[in-house]
Amino acid sequence: MPTQPNLTEAETRLGGALPHRRVEAWKWTDVRNSVKETASGLVSACEPVFELPSDLSVNRAVNTAKDHAMGTLAHNFSGESYLIDVPAGYQSIDVVRLSGLSAGHARIFIKLGKSAELTVIEDHRSDEAGFVNIEVNYDLGEGASLTRTMTHRDHAQSTRIVTSQINAWASAKVIQHALSFGGGLSRLETNVAALGEGLNAQIHGAYLLNDQRHTDMTSYIDLGAPDGVIRQTVKGVVTDKARGVFQGKFHVRRPAQHTDAEMRHDALMLSDTSEIRAKPELEIYADDVECAHGNTLGALDESALFYMRQRGIPLKEARALLTEAFVAEVFDDLAEDRRDDFMTDIRTWLEANS
Amino acid sequence: MLKINNLTATVNEGAMTILNGLSLDIPAGEVHAIMGPNGAGKSTLSYVLTGRDGYDVTGGSVEYMGKNLLDMEPEERAAAGLFLSFQYPLEIPGVPTMTFLRTAVNAQLKARGAEELSAPEFLKKARKIAADLKIKPDMLKRPLNVGFSGGEKKRMEIFQMMMLEPKFIVMDETDSGLDVDAMRIVADGVNALRSPDRGMLVITHYQRLLDYIVPDKVHVLVAGRIAESGDADLAKKLEAEGYDAYAA
Repeated sequence: MPTQPNLTEAETRLGGALPHRRVEAWKWTDVRNSVKETASGLVSACEPVFELPSDLSVNRAVNTAKDHAMGTLAHNFSGESYLIDVPAGYQSIDVVRLSGLSAGHARIFIKLGKSAELTVIEDHRSDEAGFVNIEVNYDLGEGASLTRTMTHRDHAQSTRIVTSQINAWASAKVIQHALSFGGGLSRLETNVAALGEGLNAQIHGAYLLNDQRHTDMTSYIDLGAPDGVIRQTVKGVVTDKARGVFQGKFHVRRPAQHTDAEMRHDALMLSDTSEIRAKPELEIYADDVECAHGNTLGALDESALFYMRQRGIPLKEARALLTEAFVAEVFDDLAEDRRDDFMTDIRTWLEANS
Repeated sequence: MLKINNLTATVNEGAMTILNGLSLDIPAGEVHAIMGPNGAGKSTLSYVLTGRDGYDVTGGSVEYMGKNLLDMEPEERAAAGLFLSFQYPLEIPGVPTMTFLRTAVNAQLKARGAEELSAPEFLKKARKIAADLKIKPDMLKRPLNVGFSGGEKKRMEIFQMMMLEPKFIVMDETDSGLDVDAMRIVADGVNALRSPDRGMLVITHYQRLLDYIVPDKVHVLVAGRIAESGDADLAKKLEAEGYDAYAA
């Protein structure tokens, strides 16, 4: 952190500074400014609920310190960490479900042994205003495969920071889909580190925000080994005075030859008062790579809307149909039952906000 | 059925007057053609009738089946049976053709207070019409008009028209982009819809479509108003002599 201004009351209770707008990585998501000292969960541990296949278990482990602000807070207030050890070669049709993440701090470690396969469904949700700081760490052994789905919907006055660190050894695979309906201030941050060659990572997401909700989808893909294939598609829809933030970075280090990486962020603004902030970044030191990024902002196509109305589709329905089609693409290759759940949630949102 | 009286309309927020005192009366059961040079106001007429934003009526009236058409929203006009076959049909990314059309058919039925079509009824009807128009079933699963050729898009317009069974049809340059075989298929579709209680307005630059869809009356549109009206032979005369005689 740069020079410290006086701590806010919330920060005094926390015993340290929160990320704020003068820190580059947090310039659009000012946590300091959004957290009140009375927020529930501010200085207490969160108690996550795990639903596990019968052959897996959760253990508690001594917390080790982290070197970033939210991690340090998680370390200080979460008590012991939660640890799931998935043995080498593990396969199961049952999924891991993680919920109860409605207030407080928690640190979770999920370790996949060599060639293990696991599906994790994370529900980040709160019905009351509060403060949530969750750190989720995945360690993917050689050839391990993680399928991760995140849904996020918070109370309109809540603050939530979810920081994910995914460390991937050779030939590991991660497919992540996140769907966020926002909260008072929320950030879903995903950091992936390729520690071995041949990472296959798909980091997709969509946010649909109304009122004054805020979602920040930040990701940092750190490629330190060759032959990585990265695909990232993030779509945003904002209306009213909502604000969507996308920060994506591919960091292709010198050894990461033959990296094939594509990043896209596309956002639709359904109102003039909504806001999108986007910062797609490529930082490339290897010379034999294919990397691309794209970023668009726009409104619904007026000509297409007129065409639909001429066929008898009412304006509201036409807007919903076009928006749904815009977002749905992100979830094309999601497993059918989860895709159906996502689309139901998206349609419900569109009915209220188109 | 459709009575246009002394209609004037502007585009670009009043910067240009495109329709300039246009009057036209199309009774039920008749097919009228409007021909005219580029820039005469043919497409503007189709957009004014269907209520597109950016086309502002500054005078005159349009009565459709006894109602003031200009007071209605585009989707209300559609539900009242007004259909426009677009000169340039829009691409609707991500919305499969069948989903789009089923939404449209049911929205119109709902607006008229009628019962929605069940999925099997809808599918049966769609398959039959697609086969008549030589549209491959595979195309109906693709997003509407996305990646379709010009001719395929026009055929898709006729497909939608036959599914929606409108009461009054406006066809804007439906023949452009069609080869002779496709034109015959499209014309057969249109002719099948001719009936005593349905009206049609066929807008075209060339006469050739009118060999297949023979109109009851032909009007020449020049500089935003009707310069001459006649029977089907007028179209042949225009084809031979061009529009020079009407030059201002």
